[in-house]
Amino acid sequence: MKHVNTLKAVAGGTAAVAVLSAGLMSAAPAYAEDVVLRMAVPDWPPTRIMKDLFDKSYKAKSGNNVTLEPDFIPWPDYYTRLSGSLTSGEKRYSMAVSDSQWLGAFIEGGYYQKLNDAIDADPELQKIMESLNPALVDAYSTYPHKSKNYYGFPQMPDVLVAYYRTDVFCDAGEAAAFKAKYDAALPCTPEEMNNADWDMVQKFGEFFGRKKGENLSGKALDDDFYGIAYQAGKGYDFSTMQIASMIWQHGGDIWDETKAPTGKAEGVVNSPEAVAGFERYLSLLQYMPPVVKTGTMDIFKQDELFREGKVAYMINWIGFAESSIDAKTSKVSDKVDFAMAAGLKESDGSINRTYNIGGQPFVLMTWNDETTNTEALEFVKWWLSAETQVAFAKAGGQSGLKSVYEDASYNDFRPWNHAFGASIGNQKDIWHIPEFFELLVQQQAEFDKAITGQQDAKSALDAIAKFQEELLQETGHIE
Amino acid sequence: MKKVWEVYPLRVAFASIPAALIVSALAITLLPPSVSFWVSGAVSAFSAFLFVAYAWGRHAGGLLVAPAIALLFCMNIFPLLWSFGLSFFHYRANRLAPPRFAGLHYYEKVLTDPVVWDRLQVTAQLVVLTVSLQMIVGFLLAMLFAKQFPLRRVLLILVLTPMMLSFVAVGAFFRYYYEPTFGLLSQAVRVFTGEPYVLLQSTAGAIAGIVFADAWMWSPFVMLLVLAGLVSVPKYLYEAASIDRISHWRRFWNITFPYVRSLLMLALLFRTIEAFKLFDVVFLLTEGGPGTSTETIAVYVYRVSFQYFKTSESAALAYILLFTVIVLTNLYLYFANQRNRT
Repeated sequence: MKHVNTLKAVAGGTAAVAVLSAGLMSAAPAYAEDVVLRMAVPDWPPTRIMKDLFDKSYKAKSGNNVTLEPDFIPWPDYYTRLSGSLTSGEKRYSMAVSDSQWLGAFIEGGYYQKLNDAIDADPELQKIMESLNPALVDAYSTYPHKSKNYYGFPQMPDVLVAYYRTDVFCDAGEAAAFKAKYDAALPCTPEEMNNADWDMVQKFGEFFGRKKGENLSGKALDDDFYGIAYQAGKGYDFSTMQIASMIWQHGGDIWDETKAPTGKAEGVVNSPEAVAGFERYLSLLQYMPPVVKTGTMDIFKQDELFREGKVAYMINWIGFAESSIDAKTSKVSDKVDFAMAAGLKESDGSINRTYNIGGQPFVLMTWNDETTNTEALEFVKWWLSAETQVAFAKAGGQSGLKSVYEDASYNDFRPWNHAFGASIGNQKDIWHIPEFFELLVQQQAEFDKAITGQQDAKSALDAIAKFQEELLQETGHIE
Repeated sequence: MKKVWEVYPLRVAFASIPAALIVSALAITLLPPSVSFWVSGAVSAFSAFLFVAYAWGRHAGGLLVAPAIALLFCMNIFPLLWSFGLSFFHYRANRLAPPRFAGLHYYEKVLTDPVVWDRLQVTAQLVVLTVSLQMIVGFLLAMLFAKQFPLRRVLLILVLTPMMLSFVAVGAFFRYYYEPTFGLLSQAVRVFTGEPYVLLQSTAGAIAGIVFADAWMWSPFVMLLVLAGLVSVPKYLYEAASIDRISHWRRFWNITFPYVRSLLMLALLFRTIEAFKLFDVVFLLTEGGPGTSTETIAVYVYRVSFQYFKTSESAALAYILLFTVIVLTNLYLYFANQRNRT
C-alpha cells in the first residue's frame, strides 16, 4: 500500500500544480501588443545580419512590442526542417525564408500566403514591388511562374560571380608566360576579368593547373594547384544552377513552366543547343580539383578549396564572399577580387551571361492572425526600405531595390558589389511547380553520371527529357 | 444498491473502449478537425481513466508500467499502424487534400517499379559485401583478442571505439578521409604515384568506400559477440585435443567453431538487418552517386517520403521492406535452429 500512497501523493501534487498554474495563466493580464515574428531562416550571414539590424533599429509604427525570433537552421537541413514543420501542422512560424523553387510545393500545400490583397491595399508595398528588379519579382514572388499572383519579397538576392586570385592573375611573370602561350592578355582588374568568356576560362584552367613543386607567381608550390572551379555536386541543386546557366547561354532551354501545358520537355531539354551547353560545362571539369570527379564538389566544397588557396578562379554565389575576404576564415583573404561570372561570347562580341538566380524571398504563412500579419508586413516594409537595405548592403548583404544597387556608392560597400548590379538583370530561374524536387533529384543524378564520366552529355539530357516528359504528362503540366 | 461500476469495474472499463471509438469516429466525421481532435482526446482519456481507477490499489505494478506502455503506443505503435493505413490511401503529407482510398494501388506500383528493383539490387550488393567483410574481420579480431597479450585491454577499447561513434561523425570522417585534395588516403597514395587518388569517382570505388567505412564501424560489433563465444570454450577440450595431437584446423572446426556458431548467426542477423537499412554513411559519402549507383533502398525511401512527399507510396515501400526483413530474419532463425538440431 505504500506505493499507492506515494502515487496518490504524486497525483495530488501534480493536480495542485496544474490548478495553480492554470489559475496564474488566466489571472495574468493579456498584453495584446506583444507580437513575436517567428521566422524559419537558413543559418548564414545574410540572415544573421538581418537579425542584428532588427534588434538594433526596428521600432514598430503601431507601438506594439514586436520581436523577431529567427530559428537559424543549417543550410543542408533547411528544406527538410522547414517542410517538416509546415507539413506537421505545428504552425510554428509566421514567416520563413524560402528558396524560390519551393513556392509551388508549399503554396499548393496551403502554407504560403497570397499577398495580392495586402499589396493592393497598401501603396507603400506597391511602391516596393515596382522598385524591385523585375527578375527578382518573377523568381521570388510569382506562382504560377511569371503570373500576377504574388507570394514573396526578397530577403537576400544572390547571383553567381567570379572570385579570382589577384596574386596569380596580376603577377607580371605569369602575365608574360600567358601572353607567350596564348597571345592574349591575362586579365587582372575586375574590368578586364568581366570580359572573360568560356574560352578564356578554359585557358585559365589549362594555364594555372600546376603540380606540387612547380612555380606559381615565382614561388614553388607546396601542393597541387588548380586553375578553375565551379559547382558540380550531386546534392540538392549543386550542379543544376551552373549547368542550366550554360544551357541558356548556348541557346538551349530547360522545360519552361510558363509554356505549360503545350510546352514540351522532349526535344527542348535535349535540344542540340542544350547538349552543346552541357558539353561545354563538362569540358571544363578536367581543370578543376580532383574531387570534382566524385560528384561531390558542391558550393561548400568549392568555397573551401578556394579559401584554402587551391584554386585560381571560381564561380560561386556572393553569399560566400564575406568569408573569403576574412582573414579568420580564408588563407587568401588579402588577394581576392571579384568580377562578373564568365559567359558565352556571341558573334557580335558581346557576352551572354544568362545565369540562374540565387537568393531567397521571405514568405508569410496562411495561419497568421491579423495582428501578426500586419506586423509581418510592417517588418517587410522596414526591411525593403532604402535605409535598411543600405545598412544591410554595408554589412555585406545585397539589395534588390534598383534605387539602392544602382546608386554609385553601392559599389564601394563591398568589392563584389559592382558585379551584383551588373549581373542581376540576366537572371532566370528553374521550375517552381510542386513536383520540382522530383525533377531536380532525377536531373542531378543524370548530371552526376555525366560529371563522373559514366555517360555523355547527350545521353544524360535524353534521359532527363524522357523522365520529365513522362512525369509532367502524368501530373498534367504537359498535355 | 451498488452501481455497475462498483460491481464490474473492469467490464465497464473495457466497454468504454468501443464507446470511445464510436464517439471519436462520429466526432471525426461530423465536427471540424480542431474540435474533433479534442473530443477524441477527451473520450480516450476518460477510457484510460476508468482503467487507472480500476487498477488503483489492485494492480500497483501494472499501473507503474502503464505510462511506459502508453508512451510506446503513442510514439511507436500508433504511428506504425497509422502509416500502414496510409499506404492504402492516396495521400501526400504536404497537401491539404484529405486521403482517398486507393486499395493496393501503391503496393502494386512499388513492386512493379524498375527504380525500386534497381535500388534493391544496389542494397543487396552492399549488404552482401559489407556483412561478409564485417564477419571476416570481426572473426579474425575476436581470434586475436581471445589470446592474452600485453596492452590487450587498451587495444580492445580502441578497437571498440568506432561502433560507439555516431553515424554522421563516421560519414563526415570518411568523407574527408577519401577526399582527393586534403584526404589522408589520397595523400598516402600520392607518395607512391605522384597523382591524387580519387576513390569515389567510379561505381566500384564508391561501393568499396562505403563498404570499408561501414565495416570499419561495425566489425568490432561482430568481434564482441564472437569473443563472448570464444572465451566460453572450456580449456580442457583444447588440452584433450593437444594430447590427441589433433591438427589446428580440426581443433578449430570441432571445438571452437561449434561454440561460436550461434553467436555468429546472431551477429549475421543483426548486421544484415542493419545493413539493409544502410542510409547515413551512403548519404554523407556519396549521396547515392556516382549517378544512382550507390543509392540504397533506404535513401530512396527518404527521397520518396521527404523530398517528393509521396507519403502513401513511401509507406507502402517501407512496409514491403519491413516484410522483407522479417522474412529474412525468420529464414535465418530457421536455418540456425536446423543446424543446432543436427
